[in-house]
Amino acid sequence: MDDETSADEVQAGRRAFLTCFGSALAGGAVAATATALLPGPARAAAGGAPSPAIPDYDWKQHQWAFGVDARKCIGCLRCVEACKAENEVALDAHHFRTWVERYVYVEGEDAPRIDSQADPVNIAASGSEQHYRFANRYQDQKVERAFFVPKLCNHCTHPACVQVCPTGATFKTDDGVVLIDHTYCIGCQYCVQACPYGARFFNVEKKVTEKCTWCYHRITKGLLPACVEVCPTGARIFGDRRDKQSPISRFLAENRVDVLKPETGNAPNVFYVGIDKDVR
Amino acid sequence: MHPEFSAAPYIGYVYPNETVFPWGVLIVAYPYLTGLVAGAFTVSSLYQVFGLQRLRPVAHFALLTSLCCMIFVPTPLLLHLGHPERAFNAVFTPHWSSAMAMFGYFAGFYVLLLMVETWFVFRPYIVQQAQQRKDLLGRYYRLLSLGSYDLSEDALRVDRKWILALAIIGIPAAHGLHGYVGFLFGSLKSREWWSSDLMPVIFLFSAIISGVSLLTVLYVLSCKLRRIAVDVDCVKGLGYTVWGFLMFTLLLEGVEFGSLVYKGKEGIDMIMVFVTTRLVIPFFVLQIGVGAVTPILILSYMFWRGTAGRALVAGVTTSAALILLNVIMMRFNVVIGGQEISKTGVGLLSYPWVFLGREGVFAAASVLAAPMLLLLVMIRLLPPWHDPVNTPAH
Amino acid sequence: MPRHIRRLLLVLIGLGLVAVAVRNLVVDRSFYEYGHYRGNAVAEIARDKPKFQGTAYCQSCHAAEYDTWAHGLHYSPDTARIVKCEVCHGPGGGRDPGQNYLHAATGPVHPGNLKLAVPADTTALCTVCHEQIVGRPAEQRQIVSGEHAGGQQCSLCHDAHAPLRFKGALAAAAAGGNPAAGQRKTAACAPCHGPTGVSAAGLIGPTLAGQNRAYLAAALAAYRSGARKNPIMLGVASVLSNSDIEDIAAFFASQKCAAGPGGAAQLAAARAAGAAMCASCHGANGVPTGAAWPSLLGQSTDYLQGALRSYAGGDRSHVVMSAIAKSLDDAGTAKVAAYYGGAACK
Repeated sequence: MDDETSADEVQAGRRAFLTCFGSALAGGAVAATATALLPGPARAAAGGAPSPAIPDYDWKQHQWAFGVDARKCIGCLRCVEACKAENEVALDAHHFRTWVERYVYVEGEDAPRIDSQADPVNIAASGSEQHYRFANRYQDQKVERAFFVPKLCNHCTHPACVQVCPTGATFKTDDGVVLIDHTYCIGCQYCVQACPYGARFFNVEKKVTEKCTWCYHRITKGLLPACVEVCPTGARIFGDRRDKQSPISRFLAENRVDVLKPETGNAPNVFYVGIDKDVR
Repeated sequence: MHPEFSAAPYIGYVYPNETVFPWGVLIVAYPYLTGLVAGAFTVSSLYQVFGLQRLRPVAHFALLTSLCCMIFVPTPLLLHLGHPERAFNAVFTPHWSSAMAMFGYFAGFYVLLLMVETWFVFRPYIVQQAQQRKDLLGRYYRLLSLGSYDLSEDALRVDRKWILALAIIGIPAAHGLHGYVGFLFGSLKSREWWSSDLMPVIFLFSAIISGVSLLTVLYVLSCKLRRIAVDVDCVKGLGYTVWGFLMFTLLLEGVEFGSLVYKGKEGIDMIMVFVTTRLVIPFFVLQIGVGAVTPILILSYMFWRGTAGRALVAGVTTSAALILLNVIMMRFNVVIGGQEISKTGVGLLSYPWVFLGREGVFAAASVLAAPMLLLLVMIRLLPPWHDPVNTPAH
Repeated sequence: MPRHIRRLLLVLIGLGLVAVAVRNLVVDRSFYEYGHYRGNAVAEIARDKPKFQGTAYCQSCHAAEYDTWAHGLHYSPDTARIVKCEVCHGPGGGRDPGQNYLHAATGPVHPGNLKLAVPADTTALCTVCHEQIVGRPAEQRQIVSGEHAGGQQCSLCHDAHAPLRFKGALAAAAAGGNPAAGQRKTAACAPCHGPTGVSAAGLIGPTLAGQNRAYLAAALAAYRSGARKNPIMLGVASVLSNSDIEDIAAFFASQKCAAGPGGAAQLAAARAAGAAMCASCHGANGVPTGAAWPSLLGQSTDYLQGALRSYAGGDRSHVVMSAIAKSLDDAGTAKVAAYYGGAACK
């Protein structure tokens, strides 16, 4: 302490300072010391962390991947409705974990006409935002070729969404799935912006971001994702790349596949057969 | 059915989930506020660090303006978050690869820096009030003084060193804070309209002009309210500052837009449709024409003709007000415009205007008005007009 | 160092310590366990209950339906076309938020209240996959529902579990018969119907070539029993066994009687002739839109007019045709018969 005369004002100021900040300082110091003694957040062990506590499942044994054979898709949209039922996705035409696009090349036009089940015309055809079916459009045009393309989260190897998440609420698991921790997401929607594929959306009820999980609660129990389960034509293929006999391994071995927007460097893990340059 | 979102109408093809805009006008207010912070701090530093004596009348006022705006910078973000109560997750477990994770630290550090610098600058006044006042406010000043009334020449010399140091650190901090906001948008490869290396620099320069302009308008306004003469020399200094930075900003924006068009990457067709239809009024007319070219012409004319006195004050103030419009339109055209161009590259959305609610226009307007109200209180608690006891370091 | 600086630093350090303490208390213990996220989140997400249960779950109670399905076209593993139970019936183990699968009369949960979600409107359900729309690959079986069955429920003729297993008239059509054997038994037919069943000018019998097999078989059986009254046909049919009838029907059904081009112009012509209601089943050019209905190709105006009069008068009886024939006046009957009478074999 400086050896100066202590005026009353100084004393009063010191009291105010000591009572307010002194206690905070002391409290903070005690708390910091105390919490430092607690076991801190776990760090991945050098020998590799164990698998999360999922019954009868070791994520080190699996590397999941998804295939889409667009040549087989009939645009029935059973996948879209099944996904909404399985994952309790909002029942409107603006929130989808998976969706189906239709590309129609009309004679004499350079660019395809594209619509999805969310298009107002198709919603009008189904009569409700809760049911989906493609309207029989383009009957009057001369159509050169047309096809459907199912879309979903690409579960990228270098996911832009995970890169931009400020908290670590979205992450890539060891078995190759990009998940969202709904109890940790702050709802900033930066990931929605960052996803080049439009796969993410904001859940207005839970106030967090939502997207396809490849039905992680199903695949860890040995089941197929709901959309694959209900696809009546085998246009959706799912499996484990570690298993050489799995549908996806065979699909990748037998086909030359494309991924969407490879130039973004995200390295998607949904592989397409039978798409076209205009599919992005 | 949830009425809490409004779906955007569109043309062409857009991904189904894109019809709900992730970011609305609140996120327009956010970079606007940080810009004002950085700009106002620049003025204060021009005086504190670079010794621009002309700016002395507004130097401390600039610091207070910067602080008031900075305090409200997190509010648009918190209002926007789905779970504001979890906001600290980004600070407790910052994901460093995310541009946004830096925000908590940048903002926290900068608020502290501003507070400490303000404290040093106003310490003589605080001590004086702590000693004189016996009322409740006196207690407040005594608390602020941290119980030390040392105003000796030695102590003030140390204070001046701190102020200089903080002002110097503050320059990269303020500009880093705002450059980072530009990076937040520029680093997103998913959006052609945002994905640009120039984005941080553009944000920075537009930030500076917005802060200087705000200060000009507020200063002239405060002189009218306090019925004192406007320091024409100071206004001229502010005018010069904003003039130089404005030309550079316009140049950068031109380069960015030009290179986007010239490169003509995939999706440029849709961008050109966007630019030539929906962007004509907000971008070419309001942002460029009214907001940038007009003030440049006014300022250039006045400086060329050597206009002085009331005419100069009126001209600079008008220009400043136009520049404030320019910058808010620039923020709008970036934040909203970027989302209006679909990620499919073959579709355009129209932002559905929302007025009420947490993310509506009124919320955004309140967020922008709040720092001004706080400033009204602050200039009563810490009057920046007092002839400063501190003189600049050199 | 002046005292106020010391105190300022103390305040800042205090704030820092509080921040560190709060952080240590708040951050989940499993954070960073596997990476930059809450490790426990993975198992929490995996814990959700699946709603779609798979075919084995359904089979455990509905073995008969499962068996039908497993032998039908909706189970074609060779082409990876497998329409599982829950595609049409909805998730077996969970809510059905959109009520996409529920029959109005059944409960919302299965098997909680032991009610199966049965699609009520099969025309709406089946056309989700089978309506002909732009974009659907050619391999997919597609119909134009306006021309296929006149808006009747698909389940009227098809067993949805095995769609090529037919009900009603279609079941007979699918039954069989040997066309080669049938040809040897047609000596009695040729004088009136022509050797291949194409009724050339001057022959009194209607055209049989390309006629719907089930219709032919049913007609012969009706003549034999006297349900349809025709003295010549009664004589011919009375000597035929059931297998003879099947074989003869199969032979004539396999013969060619091709139609002229159909299409929009034809449909307009049918409308003009007052035959719009006929076209939804018999086609605008006389080729039936579904396997359940007879072909009108190559029939004479006289024959058709007679047939309509029989339906109207009660000599012949059919739930749909009797009603239609009664609704036509003499002029209308003549006009319709004349229209289809012009549809000769090509």
